[in-house]
Amino acid sequence: MIYDDEIETLPREALEALQFKRLQQTLERVYALVPFYKEAFKKANILPEDIKSLKDLHKLPFTTKDDLRESYPYGMFSMPINKIVRIHASSGTTGKPTVVGYSKADIEEWAQLMARSFVACGVTDKDIIQNAYGYGLFTGGLGAHYGAEKLGAAVIPISGGNTKKQIMIMVDFKSTVLTATPSYAQLLADTIEEMGLLDKINLRVGVFGAEPWSENMRQKLEEKLRINAMDIYGLSEIMGPGVAIECEAKEGLHIWEDAFIPEIIDPQTLEPLEDGQEGELVITTIKKQAMPLIRYRTKDITRIIKEPCKCGRTHRRIQKILGRSDDMLIIRGVNVFPSQIESVLMEIEGLAPHYQLIVDRVNNLDTLEVQVEVDSKVFSDEIKRLQSLQNQIQKDIKDLLGITTKVTLVEPRTIQRSEGKAKRVIDKRKI
Amino acid sequence: MKRLNQISVFVENKPGRLLDVVEVLGNNNIDIKAISLADSSDFGIVRFICEDPKFAHEILTKNGFTASLTEVLAIAISDRPGSLAKVLKSFKESNINIEYMYGFSAKIKDYAVMIIKVSDLEETIKCCIANNIQILSQSDIKSIV
Ligand SMILES: [Zn+2]
Repeated sequence: MIYDDEIETLPREALEALQFKRLQQTLERVYALVPFYKEAFKKANILPEDIKSLKDLHKLPFTTKDDLRESYPYGMFSMPINKIVRIHASSGTTGKPTVVGYSKADIEEWAQLMARSFVACGVTDKDIIQNAYGYGLFTGGLGAHYGAEKLGAAVIPISGGNTKKQIMIMVDFKSTVLTATPSYAQLLADTIEEMGLLDKINLRVGVFGAEPWSENMRQKLEEKLRINAMDIYGLSEIMGPGVAIECEAKEGLHIWEDAFIPEIIDPQTLEPLEDGQEGELVITTIKKQAMPLIRYRTKDITRIIKEPCKCGRTHRRIQKILGRSDDMLIIRGVNVFPSQIESVLMEIEGLAPHYQLIVDRVNNLDTLEVQVEVDSKVFSDEIKRLQSLQNQIQKDIKDLLGITTKVTLVEPRTIQRSEGKAKRVIDKRKI
Repeated sequence: MKRLNQISVFVENKPGRLLDVVEVLGNNNIDIKAISLADSSDFGIVRFICEDPKFAHEILTKNGFTASLTEVLAIAISDRPGSLAKVLKSFKESNINIEYMYGFSAKIKDYAVMIIKVSDLEETIKCCIANNIQILSQSDIKSIV
């Protein structure tokens, strides 16, 4: 099913013409109205009219999260505050949060893109959507909520947490769609299983995002909850959830190119990379009013898939996010994403996906410890079987990443559970 | 019913974890008849025998432990020098491999009770019958104080 047939299947040429028109409007807007951009363009010795085609995009300066922090709270807005109808902020683990403003039209556009995203991943107006993304400053809850209402589905605004109550409502209200972070979906799935209620739920689709998750985690969630687990991408600085979405083909996420221009750059040299090459995703918003961003560095590592998709949509796809460059660990010179370790663990029959990575430095050498919980499915009465499980995990990680790890088996529920984004890594080198 | 259900519990090698297990059992009036702790460098397995293993398993799981039921045999060996060797010899002749073994602290009459986990349960039961080695059932366990 396609929500907006005309725009979602627009021929590439027309889509790119539309992108360029909107890019020009956006550049003129930010140059005139946002002092930060006027300054940045001057520094780069460029004017909006110097951008003569989409190919010139790379001439524009980047915007980073630090830029947003420095203009805290309203410095990036291109509208006076009386035209702003909503303000979100992303949690700042270090320093000030980043603030995002929306005009009435921005909220409407967001709802449209989110509704489009829901339909692309198989949700319909007949569905009952249990929205377990957090409501509040985080964009997940309200973003999914407005999209669900726009679509005409029934939305249960339960927000994150309160797991037992979530499950009661899921059973009693016969929820058919769950929207949550994948790690919270995992916690819900485990708890439903423990309560013996797997046969009592009516879910058919899960729309999971806001953190990277592996293909193997998808399989586990799909098997346990008997759903289609779909990946949604978004980030608050750009808009929130609904920037890109998986279609039924599950071969990458369509990024809505009538509203965003994606690029991939080498995070070290900052040079643009060809479609298909892996690097950092950079997004330019071309429809936003209140806070357009030019070449925003997302820190998310992926690649662009330009080949046409089976579903008929013409918007290019990004591959499932491999990780964030922020989350990337450098262990003895090797780049390691937590999601890669996760995929190794998920390959092992019966292993619970609760893990934590402890990075440390001992005698000037980086060490990586992988802590994995032992539940009844992998537990054996024999020490040697458990040791061979440790050895297998160690070997599989070595085969994939070439690094030696210490694998520690820990008791169930000793690794902290998350109701939002999971904390997978403890880097003691930084403490 | 010659087979006995033993509870095995996964514990990390951290101070007080064995105590935690034993306390949970004590709080639920579960009397441990025999217990052993096997460990590797960073984790261990607590194995024990009690009257109602299903109940003990349920209690432990409810309290967040990873536990399983394993079928073992409890054999009575007369408390005289050379008795254990005789039993082990019979096992060897029947090609039975003992994976682990631990003893009851209490005695019944002139017998010492050993818990054994073997490679082949059926074969071991046959061997015991053929060699007059007494196997205790779950109900026999009750009477051991
Ligand atoms: Zn598609």
